[in-house]
Amino acid sequence: MEKMKLIIDGKRLDGRDLSELRPIKIQAGILNKADGSAYIEWGKNKILAAVYGPRECIPHHEASPYRAVIHCRYSMAPFSSLEEHGRSGPSRRSMEISKVIREVFENVIITEQFPKTAIDIFIEILQADGGTRCAGITAAAVALANAGIPMKDLPCAVAAVKIDGQIGVDSAKLEDNFGEGDMPIAIATRKNELLLIQMDGMMSKEEFLKAISMAVEASSKINALQTQALRELYSTKIGEIGPEESD
Amino acid sequence: MVKIVVPGEVISEAPKPTNFAFVENGKTYSSALALFDEVNFRLIPLEGAYIPNINDIVVGVISEVKFAGYTVDIKSPYMGFLPGKELRVELQLGDVVSAKVREVDEVKNIILSFPRKLIGGEILEILSVKVPRVIGKKNSMLDMIKEVTKSEILVGKNGRVWIKGGNSAVAAGAILKIEKEAHILGLTDRINAFLKEESKS
Repeated sequence: MEKMKLIIDGKRLDGRDLSELRPIKIQAGILNKADGSAYIEWGKNKILAAVYGPRECIPHHEASPYRAVIHCRYSMAPFSSLEEHGRSGPSRRSMEISKVIREVFENVIITEQFPKTAIDIFIEILQADGGTRCAGITAAAVALANAGIPMKDLPCAVAAVKIDGQIGVDSAKLEDNFGEGDMPIAIATRKNELLLIQMDGMMSKEEFLKAISMAVEASSKINALQTQALRELYSTKIGEIGPEESD
Repeated sequence: MVKIVVPGEVISEAPKPTNFAFVENGKTYSSALALFDEVNFRLIPLEGAYIPNINDIVVGVISEVKFAGYTVDIKSPYMGFLPGKELRVELQLGDVVSAKVREVDEVKNIILSFPRKLIGGEILEILSVKVPRVIGKKNSMLDMIKEVTKSEILVGKNGRVWIKGGNSAVAAGAILKIEKEAHILGLTDRINAFLKEESKS
């Protein structure tokens, strides 16, 4: 089989440059019953994130007297993609992604303030087109802020990709499947610390470093969109924001 | 000047610890989605769960009757415990009480005291972070609502509001309006206009 060409005339399959992100739309606070929620459309990905808590930790034996524990569930809807994903309940893949996403948030949430409780994060992939864990982390961060949970940072994530020997950011499904390597990276934007880094495929050391620096560059754009989504919730047509008298 | 800050946003280049902020490497950052009041240097959170503090007045619902007292749901991640010896009468599951937080320890065991059984009326749930706005400076907002509606209103720090008698529908409407518009300037005037408009009809 002939190898698939992923870069034609310097443009990627969907017409993007190597350092260009797909269009991203984030909306915060869209679920009434959740403490915090967010909906993200990242290219063709459509993802809902909901946060509950801090609330009573169930099962009780998992609760810690020192900090809140974080539960995270990433799950793909059965109708989310063309392949086997999400066909029936939790899979090896979704359990792994739930675990790595939980660890991203364990590093930013100030859990010591809520002993004995749990913070539950749910990420539902409604439609998948590559890079769902990155989009999921980005949406969940907005949902956590929307729930009023204290955090040291607003993390976001983006996948770097190696296609036709070149490094780019934000891999779409075809690039993910037929490229030479892809690397989801979650970044704490305040100090540009890496919270998650996974890689599927091969990259040389130079390519690896270039991938990270491109992802860091893209993260500031994503972070601006997250911040904007949160601000929009409270921006108003009635008048200026501001507290007046309060006790 | 007041602006909206998100978690991890710098609020000062100098280490100035305040509520809902943290200091790292000599700079102060916000830890919550909040309004930042630069003049008074304080953060007013826009969302968040209720965490009990000593001397808070809360409105709770009895969720369990135990040998030595009652477990009370206080709309918080933590349950309150009301010792039975505080009361002369027995309470039942589902009874509504107001109480004062007497003790909070490091693992957030909450002991309540001075219970008062609330009979009749209705309960409204709002975000606990908006409670100071419902009360207003020196009770001004609450007094205004009470004067117009003639209702008996008790506002718990946990974000439960008990309303009895009078024009309770208007009182509830006003409180929900405060919750929704707490961060927008000119709240008192808008609520005043709302109360006048609603109590006419």
